[in-house]
Amino acid sequence: MMSLTRSYGAAGLALSVMAGFAVTPPSVAGQTAPVMVTSDTPQYCLHLLDQVSELMRLAPAPPPEVTSLSTAGQRMCGQGHTRGGIMRLRRALVLLKEHSLPP
Amino acid sequence: MFRSAGVRFAVVYALLLAASAAALALFLWWSTAGLLDRQTETAIRADAQGLSERWEEGGLPALVLTIDERLSGNVDDDAVYLLTNARMQRVAGNLAGWPSIVREPDTWYELPVQRAGILSLALVWRYDLPGGYHLLIGRDVQVRAQLRRLLTDALLWALVIVAAMAVAGALIVRSLLRRTLANVSTTANAIAAGDFAQRVKLSGRGDEFDQLAEVINDMLDRIGRLMDGVKQVSNAIAHDLRTPITRARARLEEASLRASSPEALRAAIDRATADLDGIVAVFQALMRISEIEAGSRRSAFATLDLAPPLADLAELYGAVAEEKGVTLSADIPERLPAHGDRELIQQAVANLLDNAVKFSPPGGTVRLQARPAAAGVEVLVADQGAGIPPEDLKRATERFFRGESARSTPGAGLGLALVQAVAQLHGGTLRLEDAAPGLAATLSLPAPEEPAHG
Repeated sequence: MMSLTRSYGAAGLALSVMAGFAVTPPSVAGQTAPVMVTSDTPQYCLHLLDQVSELMRLAPAPPPEVTSLSTAGQRMCGQGHTRGGIMRLRRALVLLKEHSLPP
Repeated sequence: MFRSAGVRFAVVYALLLAASAAALALFLWWSTAGLLDRQTETAIRADAQGLSERWEEGGLPALVLTIDERLSGNVDDDAVYLLTNARMQRVAGNLAGWPSIVREPDTWYELPVQRAGILSLALVWRYDLPGGYHLLIGRDVQVRAQLRRLLTDALLWALVIVAAMAVAGALIVRSLLRRTLANVSTTANAIAAGDFAQRVKLSGRGDEFDQLAEVINDMLDRIGRLMDGVKQVSNAIAHDLRTPITRARARLEEASLRASSPEALRAAIDRATADLDGIVAVFQALMRISEIEAGSRRSAFATLDLAPPLADLAELYGAVAEEKGVTLSADIPERLPAHGDRELIQQAVANLLDNAVKFSPPGGTVRLQARPAAAGVEVLVADQGAGIPPEDLKRATERFFRGESARSTPGAGLGLALVQAVAQLHGGTLRLEDAAPGLAATLSLPAPEEPAHG
């Protein structure tokens, strides 16, 4: 009932062009309760911070950007800017993994 | 309303414009929003492929670790994963629980999600794994959904504008067509009312309507000339036949009132009969010209050798010329292939020879010369008579036309008209020139068609 095929938008537009009235893709957001995403929470922020710290501890000489990103991410998560903090910690993780890969 | 051509053209214009705009809108949609959708699907499928391989390599622990790694490295913050066990309890991923709307495997769902308190939209795909595990893989498409809505709004507004333009354009097309046709219609009405001098006005742009107007005007000119010709022939018939009919009537009346003997009465009747025979001959000649012009004789065309009939004519008119003290010199090749009606061509050349002998002075020479030419066959008949003044040459082939010098000689002025009709029937020409002195008439006929080579 709530499932929507990926082509409904194009078909809707085609119908609207042919029939001359608007068919906006129906949003299910208003018809069912949204599911919570757990990777935007302060808990996830701490989880990422643990991962970054662990990798930094194992890395012989982590890049300086990693340190600054990790610090900024930790500060932002502490100040309530969870998504911004998580984004910086993720970038720090990606840099650390790239750095630890053999050349 | 649809019986009006203007309305039909306008509707066709509007429909074509609307169809073109719709096609353009669909293409724009497919190449923007459609492209983003396809990219998202491709990313999800690739993600699923990678997770599937990890599941096969290391089972559940490897899959859980990989999902965690992918979430950790998801800098774009748009990935959605959820792995549950058979009881739909969360094992790994970043969704709080299994969404109730996702029931069927291998199906696309648009799922409302909440990220940090903000409502968003994700496109997800469900996979069922061995052991009763269920995997949900997706991407956040909120930005794409917003873009799609913006695009839809823009296209719908564009559709409204196109519809307005289509209506305006259709009205302009209808107006243009009506104005152009009104020009032709006004002229046609004026002609129907008797004003044959009216012509369709040209816009001067040289477009298709101007070309049509020129064709109509040429047609009207041609009809006008034909009507003038009919009037002229009618007048000529009335004028030329009135004299012999009046003369025959006078003779019969005179004989009826004053004939002193049966012999005198019979002589008067014979003369009147001769006059009436002349009238009948004129009508026969007219009917023959009409028959030739109608083209009904074309079916009798055949490839023929003109040399023998021309030689016969030279012999016949040689004797006639000799009686008048005129010399007829003939120059005819042994073979002269042509294509046409033998009897008509013979009649045409006989008319030319008859005229030439008739108008030649005693001691003069009439030349009959036939030769193959580049375009076919040319038959020249030239005399040394008074000829035709240059100003009369163009009219000499009209029915009943008789120049000043021909007034005193017998004839009805139909001989050259018949020759001209024969030439036109054969696709040839009759050329009249001053032979200084005399007249040179050249009858040109096209060559016989080459047989097709197999």
